[in-house]
Amino acid sequence: MRSIKLASELKIDSVLKPEVLVIGAGGAGLRCAAEICERRPGTSIIAVTKVHSPQKSHTSTAQGGMAAVDPKDPIDRIVYHMFDTWKGSDCSADQNIIKAVCESAWEQIVWLERHGMHFSRTEEGRIAKRPFGGHMLNFGQVKAFRSCYEADRTGKGIMDTVWGESLKHGVVFLNQSVATELLFRNGRCVGAVVLMEQNGKFVAILAKATVMATGGKTRMYQVSTNCRQNTGDGLCLILQAGLPVMDLEAVQFHPTGIVGPGILASEALRGEGGILRNKDEEPFMERYAPTAKDLAPRDVVSRCIMTEIREGRGCVHPDHKLPHVWLDLRHLPEYIHKTRILEVCGFFRKFVGVEPRHELCPVTPTAHYQMGGAPTNEFGEVQKDARQIVPGLYACGEFAAATLHGHNRLGTNSLLELITMGKVVGERVTAYIEHAENPGDIPKDAGSRIFSRFSGYLEANGQEHYAKIRDALRVLMMDKVGVFRNEKGLTEAIEELKMLKDRARRLELSSRSLVMNQDLIQFWELDHLLDISMVIAQSALARKESRGAHYREDYPERSPEFHYHTLAYMTDCGNITLDKRDIDMSIFEAKGEHYEKFGIIERKY
Amino acid sequence: MSQEYDITLKISRYDPDTGRSWIQDYHLKAGRILRFVDLFRQINDEQDPTLAWSSSCEHAQCGTCGMKINGKPLLACELLVKNAVELFETHTFRVEPLTIAPVIRDLVVDLEKAYDRIHLVKPYLIAPAPPHPDGDEYRISPRVLKTYEEATRCINCFCCSTACVTTQRNYLGPNAMLANIVRIMDPRETAEKERLDVLHGENGTPRCRTARACSFVCPKEIDIAHFIALAKEGAFRRSL
Ligand SMILES: Cc1cc2nc3c(=O)[nH]c(=O)nc-3n(C[C@H](O)[C@H](O)[C@H](O)COP(=O)(O)OP(=O)(O)OC[C@H]3O[C@@H](n4cnc5c(N)ncnc54)[C@H](O)[C@@H]3O)c2cc1C
Ligand code: SF4
Repeated sequence: MRSIKLASELKIDSVLKPEVLVIGAGGAGLRCAAEICERRPGTSIIAVTKVHSPQKSHTSTAQGGMAAVDPKDPIDRIVYHMFDTWKGSDCSADQNIIKAVCESAWEQIVWLERHGMHFSRTEEGRIAKRPFGGHMLNFGQVKAFRSCYEADRTGKGIMDTVWGESLKHGVVFLNQSVATELLFRNGRCVGAVVLMEQNGKFVAILAKATVMATGGKTRMYQVSTNCRQNTGDGLCLILQAGLPVMDLEAVQFHPTGIVGPGILASEALRGEGGILRNKDEEPFMERYAPTAKDLAPRDVVSRCIMTEIREGRGCVHPDHKLPHVWLDLRHLPEYIHKTRILEVCGFFRKFVGVEPRHELCPVTPTAHYQMGGAPTNEFGEVQKDARQIVPGLYACGEFAAATLHGHNRLGTNSLLELITMGKVVGERVTAYIEHAENPGDIPKDAGSRIFSRFSGYLEANGQEHYAKIRDALRVLMMDKVGVFRNEKGLTEAIEELKMLKDRARRLELSSRSLVMNQDLIQFWELDHLLDISMVIAQSALARKESRGAHYREDYPERSPEFHYHTLAYMTDCGNITLDKRDIDMSIFEAKGEHYEKFGIIERKY
Repeated sequence: MSQEYDITLKISRYDPDTGRSWIQDYHLKAGRILRFVDLFRQINDEQDPTLAWSSSCEHAQCGTCGMKINGKPLLACELLVKNAVELFETHTFRVEPLTIAPVIRDLVVDLEKAYDRIHLVKPYLIAPAPPHPDGDEYRISPRVLKTYEEATRCINCFCCSTACVTTQRNYLGPNAMLANIVRIMDPRETAEKERLDVLHGENGTPRCRTARACSFVCPKEIDIAHFIALAKEGAFRRSL
């Protein structure tokens, strides 16, 4: 087996040469793979995933649904969906993407259904639809029935379908494997170096095209809905290659995470009449948002909860020692508890031992989603600056910022993005590999970057403690780079991150094995969490305004001066270069019907 | 206020680098509502960073953290300390990996091998029916969906397969059977013959002894035995 004595023993053990490499086998990565297989049967594809099976990817946990306007719907219109997305983004989504995604939404729902997804049905046997926060008819007038769903497991339905199709077409999976370095030749991406954890071997995968779809990254927050694997590896590979990331300051906090584990307690609970209460059981949302009350947008409700907590009207959980408020579901009729919110209420029973029919449920804002990511154009081609792309490198899903969400995402628009943009990228890759040259032999320096990192971990022998650094990071990010931000806190956070990064160099590994060495992988992940936290903090410090989920107490208004996307480059931690990318306003500029709704509009609910 | 328990975990260890297996005892103080995955993290943080275990979503949606605790296959993310103490009436817990696939290290098994069984039953539409004449989705009445919807909730945690008395070698196992049955009952699938051949083939229904252990342990509370009973009787209703 593979236990190594010296860092110099690290080497590339083998080389694989598929035509396409997909890094990240979640909903987005596999929708893309399925598209390539359908368009060009026989294409050889390797898909890499950190988890035991693609089916275990984080997409499987999404509950609510996927937005799409059914062309047979007599009252809903695609332009309303586009408007809601633009408004929700606080005027910083790209309109070319909004248009492409919303227009192809229904077609992609039908694709999933025809490939076997078990959507919930209407009496007529058609796909059922339900309302969801921020999705309205008539430019924000009344709620729209636009979210297509599979009970409370829509993400699982998508995941099973695209995984099944990939299997059917013979996609090869490398499970329990981590991409550790991107490979380039003359500026073109030619694949990646992957560590297979089950046997401790490094394999260089050389491909004509590489698609990155590694999902989200919010594990640096103390309370987060994200899975254990969401540590920002993909974004760090991008940064290490000298490429930029975009809008990382935009982190969505979901207002109702179950205190402690951070598990998502769906918006549906408030949709059905659940009420937020503070320590004195006062229904405080009435004070902040007299009309929308508990159903105000996610960022607004999260800020109200944090204000209650800061002003001393929160509670402290006796077991988890974390501050929280209450979600009251006691008054909801028995049939609602039994039929509509059974599974989510089950989470309170299972994970905090609370019975929502008779007891108050402890909730707190939880880091949920990254709006930013690797910048791409409308075809999912990864950009090296505001204008040029990196040949051979593509991105889709939560990992990518095309961007559909700008600084705030609407519920149900993420799953939609996976399948629509996943398909677009698949189409583009198919065309590219038709004429692209072979990637050639393995680049001479392949592995050098990851081996030097791993050498660092293998050789370090300090007194620092992994868990202490990890926990300090999580508290720091929650306190100073969380729901509320200000110059003082952000500046302090950047200094503290530098110190944590320094301490992380003085960790000592418990074992030198490369086989399923959790300790080694965690050190590597911790480096990513620290690096990405640094970019979030620096980008947040530079954006001296409030927009969507990015809220600056010292600059509480949105400002026209910051009407752009943040691009950030950082090859070594702390040494950051910021740049800008324009926000696409093509719907507005085309001056078609209703174009005026797509200008710089107010975001009021 | 919050109650603490003195807990002993007797965990199966395996080191692939030396081939050594042993049982290791860990003593810890644990809060009432900590999950077993939190206990493993606590061991990693405070006592032994080398203990390897798997998880992902940690709220019973992905099926990565299946293992045997005092002999019962379950998801470690779903088991709270106080519930475990009540359920097993002890403060000492024997923790073992699932027996459905080879162990890679400690509690981590090679789920990829276990998944081979699922791949055998082709978890997708082999031959989809022609699309609806309107050009959009198929029409499936909620009543038809209801007959097999329960079975679509399976997350392939392999707890049932571990509990199943006959599974080990030749039987496909309850969850692979379920994955096949879903598509037999799904009106969109036309490859009925191929599916029935696998269902009743030598690794299928003849191997099931109707012990119902699968239904008993399923964390999703799916009545797997009910579906397998339907299969044995050939009692599927199918219509689009
Ligand atoms: C609890 C929850 C509920 C949600 N509900 C909804 C909803 O109702 N509607 C909605 O629209 N959105 C929802 N979202 C958001 C949505 O689910 C996610 O944005 C989406 O599933 C992300 O999909 P993805 O394919 O981009 O990434 P993922 O599904 O996370 O897949 C990422 C893949 O990359 C792999 N990977 C990561 N790092 C590496 C590496 N270094 N090497 C190799 N592989 C790697 C992972 O193993 C995985 O296979 C929800 C999110 C959460 C957490
Ligand atoms: S049927 Fe139940 S126990 Fe068996 S794999 Fe599926 S979810 Fe797990």
